[in-house]
Amino acid sequence: MTQVRYHVLHETRYRYAWPVSTSRQLLHLTPRETPRQKTLAHRVDITPLPAERESRNDYFGNLVEHFSVSAAHEELAVLATSNVDVTRIGDAPMPQSPAWEHVRDRLHQVGPAPLLEPCQFLYASPHIEPLAALARYARLDFHRERPLFDAACALMRRIHRDFEFDPDATTVSTPLETLLKQRRGVCQDFAHFMIGCLRSLGLPARYVSGYLLTQPPPGQPRLIGADASHAWVSVFCPGAGWLDFDPTNCVQPDDQHITVAWGRDFSDVTPMRGVILGGGEHAVEVRVTVMPEDDARLTRTAAGAAQPLEPE
Amino acid sequence: MPRQLLEHYPQTGPRYDELLSAPWTLRPHWRALFDTLVRARPEQMQERLASVRRQIRENGVTYNVYADPRGVERPWELDVLPLVIPPDEWARISAAIAQRARLLNLILQDVYGPQQMLAEGLLPPALVYGHAGFLRPCHGLKVPGAIHLHLYAADLARSPDGGWWVLADRTQAPSGAGYSLENRLVISRVFSEQFRDLHVEHLASFFATLRDTLAQHAPEGDGPPLTVLLTPGPYNETYFEHAYLARYLGFPLVEGSDLLVRDGKVWLKHLSGLRRVHAVLRRLDDDFCDPLELRADSALGVPGLVDAARRGNVLIANALGSNLLESGALLGFLPRLCERLLGEPLAMPSLATWWCGEEAALEDAIARLDTLVIKPAFPQLRIDSVFGADLDRKSRAALIAKMRARPHHYVAQELVQLSQAPVWDTQHPRRLAARAVGLRVFACASPDGYAVMPGGLARVASERDARVIAMQRGGSSKDTWVLTHGTVNTFSLLRRSVSPAELVRAGSNLSSRVVENLFWFGRYCERCDNGARLLRATIAQHIELDDIRKHALTALCRHNGLLPAEPVEDIGAALRAAALDPAAPGSLAGGLHQLSNVAFTLRERMSLDNWRVISRLTDELNTAQPTEPGEVLERLDHCVQAMMTLSGFALDGMTRDQGWRFLSMGRRIERLQFMCGVLRHALAAAGDAPDWLLELADSTITYRSRYMTRPQWLPVLDLLVCDETNPRSVAYQALGLTDYLARLAAQFGALEPAALSDAVADLLSLRPEADLHTGSTRLDALLARLGSAAYALSEQLGLRFFSHADGVWTGTEERR
Repeated sequence: MTQVRYHVLHETRYRYAWPVSTSRQLLHLTPRETPRQKTLAHRVDITPLPAERESRNDYFGNLVEHFSVSAAHEELAVLATSNVDVTRIGDAPMPQSPAWEHVRDRLHQVGPAPLLEPCQFLYASPHIEPLAALARYARLDFHRERPLFDAACALMRRIHRDFEFDPDATTVSTPLETLLKQRRGVCQDFAHFMIGCLRSLGLPARYVSGYLLTQPPPGQPRLIGADASHAWVSVFCPGAGWLDFDPTNCVQPDDQHITVAWGRDFSDVTPMRGVILGGGEHAVEVRVTVMPEDDARLTRTAAGAAQPLEPE
Repeated sequence: MPRQLLEHYPQTGPRYDELLSAPWTLRPHWRALFDTLVRARPEQMQERLASVRRQIRENGVTYNVYADPRGVERPWELDVLPLVIPPDEWARISAAIAQRARLLNLILQDVYGPQQMLAEGLLPPALVYGHAGFLRPCHGLKVPGAIHLHLYAADLARSPDGGWWVLADRTQAPSGAGYSLENRLVISRVFSEQFRDLHVEHLASFFATLRDTLAQHAPEGDGPPLTVLLTPGPYNETYFEHAYLARYLGFPLVEGSDLLVRDGKVWLKHLSGLRRVHAVLRRLDDDFCDPLELRADSALGVPGLVDAARRGNVLIANALGSNLLESGALLGFLPRLCERLLGEPLAMPSLATWWCGEEAALEDAIARLDTLVIKPAFPQLRIDSVFGADLDRKSRAALIAKMRARPHHYVAQELVQLSQAPVWDTQHPRRLAARAVGLRVFACASPDGYAVMPGGLARVASERDARVIAMQRGGSSKDTWVLTHGTVNTFSLLRRSVSPAELVRAGSNLSSRVVENLFWFGRYCERCDNGARLLRATIAQHIELDDIRKHALTALCRHNGLLPAEPVEDIGAALRAAALDPAAPGSLAGGLHQLSNVAFTLRERMSLDNWRVISRLTDELNTAQPTEPGEVLERLDHCVQAMMTLSGFALDGMTRDQGWRFLSMGRRIERLQFMCGVLRHALAAAGDAPDWLLELADSTITYRSRYMTRPQWLPVLDLLVCDETNPRSVAYQALGLTDYLARLAAQFGALEPAALSDAVADLLSLRPEADLHTGSTRLDALLARLGSAAYALSEQLGLRFFSHADGVWTGTEERR
């Protein structure tokens, strides 16, 4: 089995127009342990220094960190640094999967021996309202008796074909209905959309938040902060378990995807979410760098930003 | 039996009748009360009805009806006749409700813990994972004493065969217990002898149990135990009840902005600092309680509250996430859950309800649609309840399509055949009418399991054959009399013995928000008093057609914002509007509304007498407006009297705590500004010292008793500017403010009202012979400076003491 070792930097910096007197934040920035993924080292540096800080596992088993800053500040910086090993799947044979209707009916059966874990991801969630229109869209690929895995691959391809990447087309609260009409958005939208399609058919799907390795243009060095955090979809396939699909890139995530957390949708695993007292207008800057370990050694000396942030 | 009362009462019908067992035959437990009604003289009943109305109005019992064109508040509707329940019947109801509360508490324990009931297939996953009320951040959270439900309510109805059924469970923050208590107070007063002779069970010990169980299970530390009642605020439909219960139970009534979480503990923000909160009895919905972990868009909650509960540092009742059980879909699964969890059959059936998430139930519901009500399975779904029989072909087909597309969102329920109870027909002197009735009963956790309140909130529909009863739709309520064979427990909810450590001294219970509202209460009272006096003088002068005075007063009205800055054509109409029209900018009527609004937010801190004075004033505003100047003057007299009364209450009825001090500062700031303006206008007008100057300053009597001459400038100015003993003088306000500020500074650290101290020093150095005359530029400049110093002080107090009370929490969320 081949493994790739990554060094990931995820930096979030808020600047406020007025001093913030109190800030409470929740972080989902620690990569999950999975059978294919090991976290070797992880730390989160917060400036200014939090008055309180604590971490725990959330309902979905993700590590969530709570912190609060009670000294007045006009800037808040959070730098997460992670070293992660990811195992390559490679050209494994396509999993056998039952017809999608069978999966649906099994999960909706009322009575003994329910499959509780996938049922968690079957219903509406804050950002994903199942809709008849989404079911119609999905039915273009979810033909009668088609194996679930096949159909999900086809749906992913269709979304990738039909939708255009456009960071300015949507906001965090753009509903799926609008997305279906305008067919533009970012990875988070595509993931929500695909999950919405699957749940509208009565199938369980979860939202995965993480990172993606991007390749610099040939001949150029890797730029610090040029990447972004990423999101994709996981579909429950009886027998095979949860299988990942990345509609933004039309791939099945392998060793270039690093999983941080999963939940029903973005709201369960928002990298940084909080409430502040004061602050007025704010600007936020997020910089993500994903470096294969070999690369990282080369780049680290050249780039100051690879070091934890210092307060300005 | 005398038939007159029942002449128009239906003797037969499809419903169970609470009063009659057969035509013209009373049920035994009604006989005594019915006799009273028969024997009562018509005037006596009229007096009883009037007493009910009066008590409700004067106690300010209201129910906020959303989208009511008459405004946000509506008086509570209460029928004079109680619903009477005999002892043996009550024993069955009570046992069944206690069992149900126990069962529901165990279900919550399981769902927010091991989820064994789901794994065993006794509770379909959709009812938990598909319910927006299942709060994942609260899973695994250990609640004190394993009590999720401290207060539980069930809506009951009686079927034609006389059996009771549960229509719905209220598990989140049940309302109605406080209204039951208020109903009891009113009705036990109008039927006091009958109440005593019939051995009606009292309610007080139920509330004591609720209070004591909270205290017993709450964590300890950081000072004496403190339970607060958390309300969403005055615009909530049952705010009256929040304030009422808070006062009755002795809990501070707080809004989310009064609390903060620090070190994983909950604190109440006081003027003098923070006080640890150990338990929160909440009337705020689950998902609004914490914008950090629950609904991010909630401005009503307390950021960090979930975490404080998770750390075991605060008891929240009911536990967060208990909304989960407010689902019609659950009803059909309760019998098996009861067998499994309690090992006994469910004692009281639920109204037959089928969750359409089960295929057979869906098909059956569609087949029998005409005989069913289709409702949302979960309260968060935006689905209206529909009576199948009401649908035409098209809407029927549309509903079926929706049900098939998302069957787990729907439940189908049998129609309720509610029983009927007698109500006193207020349109006729001696007549009973029949109305559909439902009963909300309450249980609270106690050391020996669940205790059921012996009584409840009976609700009657506005019509006899109503299919639904809702206070939101114009229903009325009844007191519920549970009779007992034994002796009545006459326990009263007085304080248990208080230990020295629990002694409460003045001001320790004041939140910053309350202090700010008291400050504005003071300002608005004074503003209305000033406005009323000024308008009274102006309108009187207009009647007497005294030109010079008229002009000075009109100008003063403009200066105080009562009249528009530009000249008006019909000054009479403009003055009338300034007095009576709440929509006229700056009007007195508008000011009274503001006063009433701020008093509304303080209602739980105001004595009933205060509240009566204010509600009489606002009632008067809402009646037809007079047009004759004489009548307008009469209204203004009422207003001045009312303000005097309020001021008397403040002077005589409030402890001298910081709240009182802020109220007084509000008054003095307002009065100082007003007096400076009045004096400057009077000085600027040519001629003798005017009568109205003394009148506006309510100093006519003092002046006459001292000088026995007509007003002359020197003595008038001495009385109104320099005399420190005259409560209307400029010096009295300024020195009083200086004194309050010194006391504040002693407790909270230095304030620097530089403008005020300088002006006060100047004021004290005025020399009568040189400065107290119309031409004095020094006097005029000083009055101007004092006026603006008052304004600056108000701003400064706001920044220093109130601003943290209304700080805005805003959500931040990273987006990719």
